[in-house]
Amino acid sequence: MIPQLVFYVFATVLLVSAVMVISARNPVHSVLFLILAFFNAAGLFLVAGAEFLAMLLVIVYVGAVAVLFLFVVMMLDIDFTKMREGLQHYAPLGACVGGVLFFELIMAFSDWKMVPASTIAPLTGAPGLTNTAALGTLIYTHYVLLFQACGLVLLVAMVGAIVLTLRDTGMGRRQIIDRQHARTPADTLELVDAPLGASVSAQGGFLRPHQSYHETSVPGSYASGGMIEAEKREEEV
Amino acid sequence: MAYFFYHTLAGQIILMVLETLAVLVPLLLGVAYLTLMERKVMAAMQRRRGPNVNGLFGLLQAFADAIKMIFKETVIPAGANRALFLFAPFLTFSLAMVAWAVIPTGNGLAVANINVGILYLLAISSLGVYGIIIAGWASNSKYAFMGAMRSAAQMVSYEVSIGLIIVSVLLAVGSLNLNDIVLAQRHIWFCLPMFPMFIVFFISALAETGRAPFDLPEGESELVAGFFVEYSSLAFGLFFLGEYANMILMSSMVSILFLGGWLPPLGLAPFTWVPGPLWLVFKILFCLFVFIWVRATFPRFRYDQLMRLGWKVFLPLSLVWMIATAAFLMATGLLPQVGGV
Amino acid sequence: MTSAIAPIGLMPYLVVSAAMLVLGVFGIFLNRKNVIIILMSMELILLAANLNFVAFSSAHGDLSGQVMVLFVLTIAAAEAAIGLAIVTVYFRNRGSIQVEDATMMKG
Repeated sequence: MIPQLVFYVFATVLLVSAVMVISARNPVHSVLFLILAFFNAAGLFLVAGAEFLAMLLVIVYVGAVAVLFLFVVMMLDIDFTKMREGLQHYAPLGACVGGVLFFELIMAFSDWKMVPASTIAPLTGAPGLTNTAALGTLIYTHYVLLFQACGLVLLVAMVGAIVLTLRDTGMGRRQIIDRQHARTPADTLELVDAPLGASVSAQGGFLRPHQSYHETSVPGSYASGGMIEAEKREEEV
Repeated sequence: MAYFFYHTLAGQIILMVLETLAVLVPLLLGVAYLTLMERKVMAAMQRRRGPNVNGLFGLLQAFADAIKMIFKETVIPAGANRALFLFAPFLTFSLAMVAWAVIPTGNGLAVANINVGILYLLAISSLGVYGIIIAGWASNSKYAFMGAMRSAAQMVSYEVSIGLIIVSVLLAVGSLNLNDIVLAQRHIWFCLPMFPMFIVFFISALAETGRAPFDLPEGESELVAGFFVEYSSLAFGLFFLGEYANMILMSSMVSILFLGGWLPPLGLAPFTWVPGPLWLVFKILFCLFVFIWVRATFPRFRYDQLMRLGWKVFLPLSLVWMIATAAFLMATGLLPQVGGV
Repeated sequence: MTSAIAPIGLMPYLVVSAAMLVLGVFGIFLNRKNVIIILMSMELILLAANLNFVAFSSAHGDLSGQVMVLFVLTIAAAEAAIGLAIVTVYFRNRGSIQVEDATMMKG
């Protein structure tokens, strides 16, 4: 009785939040409802006994992908009213296509047969293991090539995202940390005897610390005097 | 009586409620007294007294603060999204409470002794980012928003190295169950063979909770207190308590992963007379003391230095250590059997 | 081992999964102009597929379904990252995320 109740609660909230994702006015609300949908899907996974995947769903989807969505939605300045144009026009067509798709899927799901286990043996992993351990015995033996391919896909995605969005203008004030650590007080401070009544400009103005200030900054960046070149480069672009 | 509790539905529900209270009430008291402990310890390090007016040695200070906060007016900024504004501190606080469901205080003594306990803790820390982002966005204020983005980026960056260090520890344990992780340390605590990772994990935990020296996004003199600048009274109190509860949670994670959890240091006679939960409390107190010590000692990291540390120093270090651990365990044949201890 | 899904049965899971898929497709129809909502609808479609895999895997005791979910999760995360990076660059260059404006190379 309890598993059914839990299932129906999770399933209802999942479907309601999916509806809100596609119909919310404010994209930030859409993302928040997407997060709720992921949560409830993780709950459904738990009811089905896939505990490792449920936790993974929360960590990866909710903890990383949805944060990415939220950042992008919050940083972009979107005009909401223009985005909602065309809703009236395409909703009936979408509803028809959706209805047909749903009907076909239900027809397919209600009339299927399983291949008997003697033909294709189900892969269960060794008996008596936890869900995680059983998955481990499968991934690194049967599916190791797919696993490596997924690693490559992630690498490519990471490199691609960085290449697309990195803007290296040279205007940032960056420092070489090791040289900063290697500085001694003698490099940075100088005690000067200032006679009473004498002005600062009479003694040559405010004295900069020694060269170390420029030495510790990355060449070509702001602090090393590359500011003027960096500004020229910006104007050219 | 045992039949009532274990076999009837009502009995099981009552048992669950009692277990939850047994974890939450000491935790809430601990959070309240942690605020006092921090002020007293920092004061002692700065050669002054902390609060000592309310109650003997200032012991009622936390309750005085709570009463003050309840009576203050809750100001909601104009144009702020009311529901989300009030939801964010509630989310932060409840996440810090919910994570305690899997922490074992004795052999198998956790409210929920699940087989993926450490993943559950990672999931809860990943969710902690949302409290901050929602708070910053719902405040309808530029400073709050910028502070929230910075804080969130900082938390996400240090979660990466925390995850990799947890993988290194799991290589030596063979199971995701927190109780198994503690039991795997009965010969030697992991902080000794994995000492560099203990240090890196501790520092990442500092950055994850947003404690000094990584508290630039919420320092009072920087970005005007960051993402909770628009919060007052009870909502601010919930954030504040949530941060301290997070500190205790991270300390308990450090204790379980590296300091042996509820195990006594040596399995010998005088040490084993002290019950397991008390050992866990001692270790958590030690970690909290070091948290406060670090806050009193070091100046703040600038934001770019903080991000550089997370991505360019800790991430390569934890990756290399994970590979080295795997290589060492395979070479010496110390790999745990599949299925745990 | 007895399947954890036995008290509920397979059909409710499949209905939920079908409904999610349809909602995702409908979302793409509705929000043709907002790229981010389209990306989110794609996440819903992938979630529906994941739910389907897990339901069948649990009903037959075959762990391959869960392994597939792992890989689908990976690909979905990678695709969301690249999609959002493209949206960010597009917005930087153009100032809006109207997909219909992406016709500069036409004719």
